[in-house]
Amino acid sequence: MEILLQQLFNSLTIGSVYSLVALGLTLVYGILHIPNFAHGALYMMGGYITLTMMTAFGFNYWVAMFVSILVVGLIGVLLERFVFRLLREAPPLHDKIAAIGILLFLEAFAQFVWGADFQTMTSPYGQVVTIMGLTFTMQRLLIIVSAIVVMILLYLFLKKTFTGASIIAMSQSREGASLVGININKVAMLTFMISGGLAAIAASLASPINLVFPGMGHLVILKAFVIIILGGMGSIPGAIVGGYILGFSESLGATYISNDYKDIIAFVLLVIILTVKPTGLFAKGER
Amino acid sequence: MLKLTDVSVNYGSFTAIKHVNIEVTEGEIVVLLGANGAGKSTTFRAISGINKLDNGEIYFQNRAIGGRAPDKNVQAGIVQCAEGRKLFPQMTVQENLRMGAYVHRRKKTEIKHSLENVYELFPILKEKHHHDAGSLSGGQQQMLAIGRALMSKPKLLMLDEPSVGLAPLIVEQMFQVIEEINREGITLLLAEQNANAALSIADKGYVFENGEIVVQGTANELLANDDVRKAYIGA
Repeated sequence: MEILLQQLFNSLTIGSVYSLVALGLTLVYGILHIPNFAHGALYMMGGYITLTMMTAFGFNYWVAMFVSILVVGLIGVLLERFVFRLLREAPPLHDKIAAIGILLFLEAFAQFVWGADFQTMTSPYGQVVTIMGLTFTMQRLLIIVSAIVVMILLYLFLKKTFTGASIIAMSQSREGASLVGININKVAMLTFMISGGLAAIAASLASPINLVFPGMGHLVILKAFVIIILGGMGSIPGAIVGGYILGFSESLGATYISNDYKDIIAFVLLVIILTVKPTGLFAKGER
Repeated sequence: MLKLTDVSVNYGSFTAIKHVNIEVTEGEIVVLLGANGAGKSTTFRAISGINKLDNGEIYFQNRAIGGRAPDKNVQAGIVQCAEGRKLFPQMTVQENLRMGAYVHRRKKTEIKHSLENVYELFPILKEKHHHDAGSLSGGQQQMLAIGRALMSKPKLLMLDEPSVGLAPLIVEQMFQVIEEINREGITLLLAEQNANAALSIADKGYVFENGEIVVQGTANELLANDDVRKAYIGA
């Protein structure tokens, strides 16, 4: 029983990170209708920038994370403005090729600047706490709480503000959005900024319990794709629920099946769900 | 108020409209007639700024607006209720209407007022304000599309085939509403295939054929024109 509780807690931690990454991916997919393969590279950049801010500039963890959000958000905006906008009239395949190109570029860039070594990020919240038989580091608790706060803020932004609603509107009907006077270009840039910011938050939160290295985004982005396919491409609640479902299945699978097969579980889950419900769990009715 | 001079739009090598000249005076209802693919929608899209011009110029209140971004045109008061409605299907009726007021997003009381006006015009929308737009019937969706366009307080409202696919009784209501909107001081540009109903409320009209205007005149002149009667009224 205690093991189960401990694993449930761990799964909340991983699930939170997955959900944050998947949210950024699904937002961009909703607007652009292309899978942004470079999203994992943005996640990686987020990790490195936070780390550099802390080690080279001696910034506090939160300040470093804030800088990272701004920088990766800006990278997102630049990608929209100078890559994807120019490809808007081109066949969809070109977007995908461009995304892979950006991914390769950013990884090579990270390796050039920071080297290929695995680096550790020391969190100020490393202390171990025991509550009701559960043992965990403060960092893990922090991941869960921060992720939930970010998701609530994002939800309020999308639901309660006109600017946020314009993102949803554009994902439902691009032409409808421009007919009511929404500036499509601004919304696209804003969406990329939020997407990059979310990746930076996820990476900054997860790095202290993982490692920072140029390929750190690979597995995360693959799983994020599994999540948004699970949850229905472009669906926001789908990305959140999908993230936690994946977190739970991985943790439980690692405990009760084998730790070695942990990463396979995501893909087995993908195969099963696509067999049973090919449109995804939360897919929109009409498309 | 609105003037198109010698406007042409190409889709690749295909010319959708060529050398179109249209003039709309403030307060009028002007109707564009013509079969599917004759160029009515392309004309609307050019005025809205969704399509770029390949020739000619468009003037709105004596300012050249050809090629200007669609959101700028909505701010200036040119609003289009497009064919296919282009609603936000997973948003509720009320959310759709609020999005219509996007250009006035900072004026909360004004939005509330406009919302009340639209609900007065279309009581059914108030009844269904919590339903998803995608769940409405065709007629209700059309009302919502017009309502959403009104939320931006247009000076010039363009309605692209508002009666298409609707039951005859609803069509009649729709034209009554269109007249009512016009009485409130909004200039209307209407694309229609239902020539009889459209000309009965319009001041003047233009007939499109293969991207060109072939006949133009006052509503009465067009109703009396034999070619127009044969082609579009069937009498």
